[in-house]
Amino acid sequence: MESLADTLWDVVICGTGLQQSLLALALSRSDKKILHIDPHSFYGGGEAAFSLQEAESWVGEVAAGTEGSFTDASITKPDGSTGLSFPRAYSLALAPQMIHARSELLSQLVSSRAYRQVEFLAVGSFFIFKPSTDPSQKPELVRIPSTREAVFATTAITSKAKRGLMKFLKFVMDYNSETRSETWKPYADVPLTEFLFKEFKMDQELQTYIITLTLSLDGKISTRDGLAAISRHLSSMGVYGVGFAALYPKWGGLSEIAQVSCRAGAVGGTVYMLGTGIKEMNTIEDTIELQLTSGDTIKTKKLVKGDQGFPGVGISRLVAVINSPLKSLFEPTVEGAPIPAVAALAFPPGLLSDADGKVSENPTYLFAHSSDTGECPSGQSVLYLTTQYAPGSMVLLQKALDFFLEAAADDSTPKCLYQLRYDQRGSDETPASKDASVFHLQSPSPSLAFNDSALESVREAWKAVMGDTAVDAEYMTFTDREGAMGDDDDVYD
Amino acid sequence: MTQNPKKLPEKLQLATSAHVKYIQSLDTRKDEYDYWLTEHLRLNGLYWGLTALHLLGEPDTLPRPETIDFVLSCQHENGGFGAAPGHDAHMLSTVSAVQILATIDAFDELESRGKGKAQVGKYIANLQNRQTGTFAGDEWGEEDTRFLYGAFNALSLLGLLRLVDVDKAVSHIAACANIDGGYGVSPGAESHSGQIFTCVAALTIAGRQDLIDKERLGRWLSERQTASGGLNGRPEKMEDVCYSWWVLSSLEMIGKTHWVDKQQLINFILRCQDTEKGGISDRPGDMVDVWHTLFGITGLSLLDYPGLEPVDEVYCMPKSAITRILGR
Amino acid sequence: MADQGGSQHGIARTSRVRTEAQRQSDLDRIQKYKDLESQLRSLVQSQGADPQEIYTLTTRLLRLNPEYYTVWNVRRRALISGLFSRPSPGSSCSKASSSFSASDTTTTSTAASSPSSSTAATRPSPPSPTAGRSGTTLDNNTPSENENKEKEKNEEEDLKLLETELNFTIPLLLESPKCYWIWSYRLWLLRQAIERLSVAAAKRIWEAELKLAGKMLSKDPRNFHAWGYRRHVVETLESKALNGTSLVEQEFAYTTRMIESKLSNFSAWHSRSKLIPRLLDERGADENARRGFLDQELGYIRRALNVGPEDQSLWYYHQFLVLNIVSPVGHPTIVPGFSLEDRVTYMTRELEEMKDLLEDYDDEKLIYEALLEYTLYLCGLEGRKPEPEERDDLVKWLTKLKELDPMRNGRWADLERDQALTELLPGVEQGGIPILQR
Repeated sequence: MESLADTLWDVVICGTGLQQSLLALALSRSDKKILHIDPHSFYGGGEAAFSLQEAESWVGEVAAGTEGSFTDASITKPDGSTGLSFPRAYSLALAPQMIHARSELLSQLVSSRAYRQVEFLAVGSFFIFKPSTDPSQKPELVRIPSTREAVFATTAITSKAKRGLMKFLKFVMDYNSETRSETWKPYADVPLTEFLFKEFKMDQELQTYIITLTLSLDGKISTRDGLAAISRHLSSMGVYGVGFAALYPKWGGLSEIAQVSCRAGAVGGTVYMLGTGIKEMNTIEDTIELQLTSGDTIKTKKLVKGDQGFPGVGISRLVAVINSPLKSLFEPTVEGAPIPAVAALAFPPGLLSDADGKVSENPTYLFAHSSDTGECPSGQSVLYLTTQYAPGSMVLLQKALDFFLEAAADDSTPKCLYQLRYDQRGSDETPASKDASVFHLQSPSPSLAFNDSALESVREAWKAVMGDTAVDAEYMTFTDREGAMGDDDDVYD
Repeated sequence: MTQNPKKLPEKLQLATSAHVKYIQSLDTRKDEYDYWLTEHLRLNGLYWGLTALHLLGEPDTLPRPETIDFVLSCQHENGGFGAAPGHDAHMLSTVSAVQILATIDAFDELESRGKGKAQVGKYIANLQNRQTGTFAGDEWGEEDTRFLYGAFNALSLLGLLRLVDVDKAVSHIAACANIDGGYGVSPGAESHSGQIFTCVAALTIAGRQDLIDKERLGRWLSERQTASGGLNGRPEKMEDVCYSWWVLSSLEMIGKTHWVDKQQLINFILRCQDTEKGGISDRPGDMVDVWHTLFGITGLSLLDYPGLEPVDEVYCMPKSAITRILGR
Repeated sequence: MADQGGSQHGIARTSRVRTEAQRQSDLDRIQKYKDLESQLRSLVQSQGADPQEIYTLTTRLLRLNPEYYTVWNVRRRALISGLFSRPSPGSSCSKASSSFSASDTTTTSTAASSPSSSTAATRPSPPSPTAGRSGTTLDNNTPSENENKEKEKNEEEDLKLLETELNFTIPLLLESPKCYWIWSYRLWLLRQAIERLSVAAAKRIWEAELKLAGKMLSKDPRNFHAWGYRRHVVETLESKALNGTSLVEQEFAYTTRMIESKLSNFSAWHSRSKLIPRLLDERGADENARRGFLDQELGYIRRALNVGPEDQSLWYYHQFLVLNIVSPVGHPTIVPGFSLEDRVTYMTRELEEMKDLLEDYDDEKLIYEALLEYTLYLCGLEGRKPEPEERDDLVKWLTKLKELDPMRNGRWADLERDQALTELLPGVEQGGIPILQR
């Protein structure tokens, strides 16, 4: 076999985050010479999923300042290790995102046949946290009705309010039609809440319901983006089965997709080197010379790497393992629906306050993952809390967690066994590539739902690598490899 | 080809010659896997294609002697017909056989070279369930109002309706009626446009239209027209060209065709054509097949689309053939 | 002619041009398929062929083409004539009636190779679920221990075979959920279970079938094959043949669950309406209970209409309830004891509810249709012509209908005409105006 140095690589991909990995998948049948490296010793980059041990060493690296967009990571175990299972029984996702059924990502996983290696779980209901007005009562988790059936079933709103909500849901279904556009275009750039109030007479509570469905981090999503997000949610409902709109890959979300994609790359001949980064880069005419941290010096025609230090939005995250299966959160709500593995919950703006008593104007989100996700042992759950970064936002997350545990209590209040906290910066925008042979992909997105815009830059990079041989219609479209599960007639014989 | 000049834009004309060619080509596709997978529909397919050609004004496109030979080659000793030589006898293919022979005026050949009308009648009559009055499709017992209609259709063409218990069958249909005016596949089943056609047509053949709640049924049927102009088969379902027949013929039988928008329906059917290669599909842009091609054309015929032969709304055959046989 | 098999539904039109290689591969597939078919044909025609061998071939062929009804029949005959422990008690069919052996010769010849293929002539009355095990010969004698053992062993084998058969059709059904032949074959198997197995074993099989029907309906909640199938399975499970008891409560609850997972499921609403008369009878509901039930259902559908006034399925159910209020004659009714006053009160209230809906949904034509229809019902109940204000309303609503729904202008015109006619009619008979009569 040729040595690394003797090969003129068609492309070197640096980093195994979701986008880089999808690129590896897209190129996996291209016969290109591909070297895929990652400075980390694990797959998944900013979308990785960690065992408790891996999480610990990652926190160390964040402290050392080598983790770019991640800062201020820490781990606490309120009761020591009591109640926790062995470290590898956990798979905590750094940037968990739900994937809507209508997402282009799923279409690409299907057409590329990579979906066969991923097990998808249903994302179930969205809830709103409702504090109790009576101190002797628990706070409530109110299910948000986002389908006609759910609006029909709910007793949380009046029948008049239901009509308003239904009118809005119907409106969103074809909001881009000519007549509908006339209604919302004047509001395009103002907050969606204003549109909801003025055009649908929705009160604040209903507005909160709608905003939560958009998963907007600051709650101020514009009418244009908000309608797009809700339309995505509604049109995704029922696509892959009754009663759910989004999916989540088992064993750590996007990390799993990154790994499956890299595996496809490896089967296609891509060479993988983990724990290897780029020390230095020189461009000599059409060729890039890279000095790797492994000591090798290699040549490549193109380089694709993740972006570092792109400003973007700051968010704070808290990942908690708790000692309750949270059964009532994961009940299927309609006949024939699968048991969901993920539930989403929002704490509306104005509810939580930090240590100085300053009330947060942003919502805080909590995703509860059941043990069906494979992220924790059975009998426990993993909670992912996210809010927009502000000084003191960690306190908000902690409060949200406490409130949630109180609301989720049945016989006794669930206990938190483990916490991982960190701040992160990220963006859904792709940095412009400065020269024709080096491509930048965006850093992990701060969004809570997968945004299809992430796929565009992957496709651009693919086109650049493929050059004249790129055929758009063939992008991510593969047949099963031989030996993969097939349903030939012959299996019956 | 007699294509009437119409006010419609070029695109929305019936592509008569393309459809004739398409139907003609159907039996030449023996190098396609699907041709063989659909052999169990060969005789039905012949009926669909032949009827379409007659309505398109090209009755001689399929050669008569070969047509008769093929039909008779599907007949069994017991009088019933299979879908193709070597296929078991079944009500559906038997009805198709009778309809084909009726259309091309070949009952004589059935007498002289086949097993004879009486034997066919006996085969069909034996499939009646004497307790309930309904009919099975074959010896294995599947029952459905489709078979009842088929039996009435074929037996009345053969002049042998007396072989069965018409009153029992009629009361079975009455038991299939629903409160919305429609009919289901069996007592208790929801109303369905296809089943409504079979029940209304069977009642019409039996001379028992008095049992139909025409007002209510007409309303239900007219609500089948969707914003696209096409018709659907049941509430909250997608439109489909085949319902241009099931719904429209039923409306015609109860005298309420004017309860739907004819021009919009015509446009919908025309939009479902493959104007180049011929054939009509369920919805615009989908794959064509002979089944939808026939029901698109029969629909257009009921809507008095210029240049088409009139279709009989009860028998789904050229009106001229029904007049010749039944004198109606 | 109403058969939809083989037609294309919802498949996008493509201009498929086959490469020579693709054409060749099609030809290979055709050859493989035809070889299989002719292999089966010659086996069926040969004397003393092994039913097991025939059976295996049908498996392969049906997987390629589940629409091939003749092959399903060949399979049934193979089961009856050798694979089951004894010939089917209810079936007259023998291998000789297979058409594979009958009509390869030209049919114009009278010398067909088979004896009589006139199977239909000897067709038994359709096996009814209540037929039970009357076909067995052991009923009248006290069986010896050996006979008992033999019987048990046979049953066990038949059970295994039936289970294999049922499992065989599931993937085919999932792939072709609207294929009549598969459904009908499955039902035949289920009838065999009643004829061949102990009541307990047969019952287990039929119960499993109810689950399958549920699964099919989860996949496509409007599949009317599956709904009809479910109805049939329930009927059989309730029958004497399986020592059954009523499942009406359970089925009623099922329609509730199906409706709540998809409000526009007309099939579920329909099924609900059909279950109600029996439900009330079996509950032994008295006047009060019936009135309570009607209130509950009216509330339920009103809540549904509140969020879906554009949905025809909901209106058909509402209409069903309204007909129960206004028209006591001719329908199994929910409240047969209602006085005229009750009926008028209920009808008036429904009209008020509909008018209230208009306040938020003034462009839903179905509300106007209901208002028109129900106002005429009310007049009919009271045996009077519309009052002047009612008349104004009727005219207003009709105008709105013409504007919102011009597609059905022919119908609105007829209604307008008939309405004028109705007014000229003298008294209206008790029980309703002519429009109500079926």
